[in-house]
Amino acid sequence: MKYLDKTIEEIHNALKTKEIKPIDLVEEAFERIEKNKDLNAYITLNKEEALKKAKSLEEKEVGDNLLFGLPIAVKDNIVTKDLKTTCASHILDNFIPIYNATVVEKLEQNDMIIIGKTNMDEFAMGSSSRTSYFGAPKNPWNKEKISGGSSGGSATTIAARDVLFALGTDTGGSIRQPASYTGIVGMKPTYGRVSRYGLIAFASSLDQIGPMTRNVYENALLLNAIVGHDDKDLTSANKEKEDFTRLINKDISGMKIALPSYFMSDIVTEEIRNEVEKAKKVLEENGATVDIIDMKYLDKAVTLYQIIAMGEASSNLARFDGIRYGFSVENPKNIDDLYLETRKIGFGKEVKRRIMVGSYLLSGENAKIYYNKALSIRDDMKKEFDKVFADYDLIIGPTTTTTAYNLTDPMDDPSKSFMDDVLVIPVNMAGLPGLSLPIGFGKSHMPIGLHIIGNSFEEAKIYQLASFLEKELNLDLDSRKGDNNV
Amino acid sequence: MEKLTREEVLHVAHLARIKVDEEEIEKYQVELKQLLNDVDKIKEVKGYDDERMIAPWQADTTPREDIAGEMLNPKEVLKNAPKHSGNYIEVPIVISESEGA
Repeated sequence: MKYLDKTIEEIHNALKTKEIKPIDLVEEAFERIEKNKDLNAYITLNKEEALKKAKSLEEKEVGDNLLFGLPIAVKDNIVTKDLKTTCASHILDNFIPIYNATVVEKLEQNDMIIIGKTNMDEFAMGSSSRTSYFGAPKNPWNKEKISGGSSGGSATTIAARDVLFALGTDTGGSIRQPASYTGIVGMKPTYGRVSRYGLIAFASSLDQIGPMTRNVYENALLLNAIVGHDDKDLTSANKEKEDFTRLINKDISGMKIALPSYFMSDIVTEEIRNEVEKAKKVLEENGATVDIIDMKYLDKAVTLYQIIAMGEASSNLARFDGIRYGFSVENPKNIDDLYLETRKIGFGKEVKRRIMVGSYLLSGENAKIYYNKALSIRDDMKKEFDKVFADYDLIIGPTTTTTAYNLTDPMDDPSKSFMDDVLVIPVNMAGLPGLSLPIGFGKSHMPIGLHIIGNSFEEAKIYQLASFLEKELNLDLDSRKGDNNV
Repeated sequence: MEKLTREEVLHVAHLARIKVDEEEIEKYQVELKQLLNDVDKIKEVKGYDDERMIAPWQADTTPREDIAGEMLNPKEVLKNAPKHSGNYIEVPIVISESEGA
């Protein structure tokens, strides 16, 4: 039985005609996850509850919702009621949430089945998922390589074809960069599109939840299910409901696309620039124009990100104090000792470094020198994007500067994990939507992604371009290389 | 190699409420300095306007209708607390008798 390799329509029809039941899909997903255990994509599996949920769906009409009865993996920084949620950290390794994140409620309303919680960088801080307290996930294309991060587990389970759907989160590229490294489709929606209620905050002005899938159409379907205004999130946008699949496979002729010169500079390897050039040519041959443009501030994005993300993180992570939930040291001498020891033992190295620097950046006069100035330049950067979108429909570039590197590469350079995301961070700064689409392979057949950036709330246009390229390029994106047997 | 002083590391660790051991201090002197050098690059940026972007999406701050909603159950909330007694979370003594009134 290999239903999870079929198209979503085929699976849906099989459910509708009662050829299969949701429980068959759940069992198949767990067989695959078991077989791929060494990839370390999951921190917690939800087997018993998933089977129970699948059983309960048998009583329900299948209807027209293509997502009905389908298994989904959820990143472990999104809270799930009664299902352990660790943020890949020792400080939360016993944490059982007492409520569901809004996105989780939406998955429930769509009759999707949560199969487990995926591995990630601790508190989403990192770019290779190697800061996880539970060890790093492995790239299904080559198990010696990273899957990227921080949504590395979600990327891994999609690339390994365990399930069709996963949720990731993206603060500075954490959906798009691992999607690029693993040859899958990952979308960071516009800031405000998806409620952050129940997402354990890292940098509140940057964080956004988004879909990670094997193809563009399924990505848009999952986005349809998770968006919407939420009274519980003050930064949630009140937008009319729309169908994100509506422009898929529509003609792209006449589309105006910008390619910033910085994205094609020598910070990007030649093999990746070549693949982007090829994609550019395909677009031009089909009636789109692609102009190389200059944009200010792109090279400053990492610095802004370091200040804003570390600053906001230091404040957000102050809640982990060993008092209300999570790990707590035994027999502290006094309250200070409780904080200091709990946080020393509970947090990993990367997280501690970022909290310390962030606390310093926000302390006293430093808040003006660093944080306020970063917010001013961030505003200018957004205006720079606005100028480009006055003339262009979309912006493209590579998602990453290299393909996935080795799991054993050194981790002692504290700046490295920020530089891995140099091309994707500007999008978080400006709150824009961005998607990574597989467009080819580098040496040793490691996937390469194209980054497609849209104006605020224009996700549908991104899917239009992405679906067109996906169809034209028609790549074999199955990482299992002939080993298709479950 | 550029380094923070020991005192600077201890100051930053205090702000962050994270204990650092003797053997960690040396490592942090180098690593934190590197990150602080990174963020110092912002000082080179000139010619921007003063308007700030706090978040990409301006929240609607109209108060919602004053309707009682569902509330979390205190028993549930306390489930995750390392120490609790009745409806209270227990913490070590915050103000000692000598400091108190």
